[in-house]
Amino acid sequence: MNEAKVQTGPLGGSLSEQTTRPDCAVIALSHVTREYSGHAGVVRALADASFSIVAGEWVAITGPSGSGKSTLVNLIGCLDRPTAGELKIDNVDVASMSATELDRFRADKIGFIFQQFHLIPYLSAVENVMLAQYFHSMTDEAEARAALDKVGLGSRISHLPSELSGGEQQRVCIARALINHPPILLADEPTGNLDAANQTIVAELLQDLHRNGHTIVMVTHDPEMAGLAQRKIALSHGKVFCHPVGGPMVTLRR
Amino acid sequence: MFFRLLMESFRRQRRRKMLAGIAILLGTTAVTAMLALATTIGDRIHKELAVYGANIVVYPKADLLDVKVGGVDVKPASGGVYLKESDLQKLKAIFWANNITGVSPELPVQFAVSRQGDERLFPAKGVGYWFDHDFASLKTGAPALHPWWHLEGTWPSRSGDVVVGANFAKQLGLKVGDRFRMQSAPGNVGSSSSTVNVVGIVTSGDETDGAVLLPLQAAQTLVGANDGVRRVEVSARTKPEDAFARKDPETLSPKDHEIWYCRPYANSIAYQIREAIPGAQAEQVRRVEQSEGNVLNRISGLMWLISAAALLAAGFAVSAAMATAILERRGEIGLMRSLGASKGAIAFLFYAETGLLAVFAGTLGYLAGSGLAAWLGARIFAGDGGAAEAVLIPVLLPVVVALALVVAIAGSTPSIRAALRMEPSAILREDA
Ligand SMILES: Nc1ncnc2c1ncn2[C@@H]1O[C@H](COP(=O)(O)OP(=O)(O)OP(=O)(O)O)[C@@H](O)[C@H]1O
Ligand SMILES: [Mg+2]
Repeated sequence: MNEAKVQTGPLGGSLSEQTTRPDCAVIALSHVTREYSGHAGVVRALADASFSIVAGEWVAITGPSGSGKSTLVNLIGCLDRPTAGELKIDNVDVASMSATELDRFRADKIGFIFQQFHLIPYLSAVENVMLAQYFHSMTDEAEARAALDKVGLGSRISHLPSELSGGEQQRVCIARALINHPPILLADEPTGNLDAANQTIVAELLQDLHRNGHTIVMVTHDPEMAGLAQRKIALSHGKVFCHPVGGPMVTLRR
Repeated sequence: MFFRLLMESFRRQRRRKMLAGIAILLGTTAVTAMLALATTIGDRIHKELAVYGANIVVYPKADLLDVKVGGVDVKPASGGVYLKESDLQKLKAIFWANNITGVSPELPVQFAVSRQGDERLFPAKGVGYWFDHDFASLKTGAPALHPWWHLEGTWPSRSGDVVVGANFAKQLGLKVGDRFRMQSAPGNVGSSSSTVNVVGIVTSGDETDGAVLLPLQAAQTLVGANDGVRRVEVSARTKPEDAFARKDPETLSPKDHEIWYCRPYANSIAYQIREAIPGAQAEQVRRVEQSEGNVLNRISGLMWLISAAALLAAGFAVSAAMATAILERRGEIGLMRSLGASKGAIAFLFYAETGLLAVFAGTLGYLAGSGLAAWLGARIFAGDGGAAEAVLIPVLLPVVVALALVVAIAGSTPSIRAALRMEPSAILREDA
């Protein structure tokens, strides 16, 4: 084992440089609004949100259904653009990027974990992970296998999603989210479809990632999961009404 | 991974791919068949129309009036200038020699005939012909240029053999195998008399029914004009007449003259024949030539219309099949976008899919279309000898595959664009 390997956490996420940079706000929102125009007029899914998340922070986003949590996560993940306001990821204003640049940026910076897993049903576990490599740069099956091994699925590599349990599917999803070493992990109710046992497994994986310096933004309804995060951002009717500044751990890192 | 995705999409969406593939297959089959027929149809129609006879006639320049009626010259046989039979060899050397499909020299004669055992003489008309004459790679002569002639018996193969017209045979009470005497008419140079065998009786529906058809050489002997022919019918494959074809070559610029000369118009071929044979006048027989051109134009117009319609229909079918196929997979598209896939990368994936399908279906369509063309050819041109031969025209393959690609890409573009326009976040939401 060489030194680089030792530095790398159990999930392959390296200790990111960002923790030591002076400007640590890896995600910065300033008066961000997102409106959807539907049949029943304009829906303001997110209204005037301003807060920032520093590198290495684990933030839980809570709020009732329809309060705009997914909207917020999609904005941070560059899957969507704000209607108004400024959103900076890694100190880059997303509004300044072209669609193609945004795609590239997303491939490099963001790892998504979904409540519904969104695995491709006809690809095996390892191929689902390799798909993320394919769209990022090039596939490397050995690396994809190693990633699955790290989430405890070393023996399920060639299973189809339909042959995996919900918890196992979510772990494939996590391996896929991590395969390109993105600094930011976005998890939209990662344990929403899981039982208690599987929730624990996923929670442990996330804790591991956090320890290894990943910035985690996690939407959750579960108080227990939310409790694992350093900070909670509560949403209600599209409004951020509680965003205490960084918790003890961030301060520690500073 | 790319090929894996490609293969899986074919394996999983077999029905949709099949529908789109069949649409392309049918479209390209129609197009191939049409193109294959269009390229061979010129030859075929020419063969068909050759039934109506020669398209160029050659006669001595001195004959200002060509007063031939139904294959028999009504001018006195003796009173003319002759072309030389030996000069006909020069036809083999003209620019469009290879387009000549038939040559039939004629020499009309007048003589007296008498039945065996009967001293009475009857005046009679005859024509000397080639029957099955070797000419370059052709076996040609009067029967080839008059395919509507109906023969009972055989064509003469020796001097002393003759074929008689049906009316003549009736008048003299002749049957195949009978003999009669021929005696040169008093006006003719030289004078001879011989007994000939009737080897066949011909029904033509025109003046030939009242005449005696004898080998050219025998006619030359009777007239006393060695090597002489009075008129030559030529059948040639020609380019349909257009305005340029009707230009007087002498008024054209040297460059245009060259172009005119090097196109297989009946006029150009006639011009080349005039050049090649001393003292000859050659003209196209326009009626047949024009109808040939008209039919060709009308048929190829119709074929283009059918081809375009078939391709358009294929395009719509592909479009419908792809619309559902892509709609089914929009969840995947949303996920791919979340993984950082650009629209271009995803579009490439789907285009590769339809492209592969198009190449595959287009190739099959090419094969099926070639088969269809052969079958149609056999149907349309029934009775035309080698009509049933399969026509695989290699140059059509890339053309047809390219058309299939264009159709498939045009057909799938609307659905691919629509799928990529959808917000990935919206797709992922509704996929819940
Ligand atoms: N693509 C869209 N088009 C129209 N309206 C939308 C769209 N996405 C979200 N909305 C609306 O925006 C509001 C916030 O939606 P969002 O999905 O962010 O809620 P959420 O907090 O994630 O809810 P849940 O906990 O149920 O997932 C809702 O009222 C929703 O109807
Ligand atoms: Mg949500």
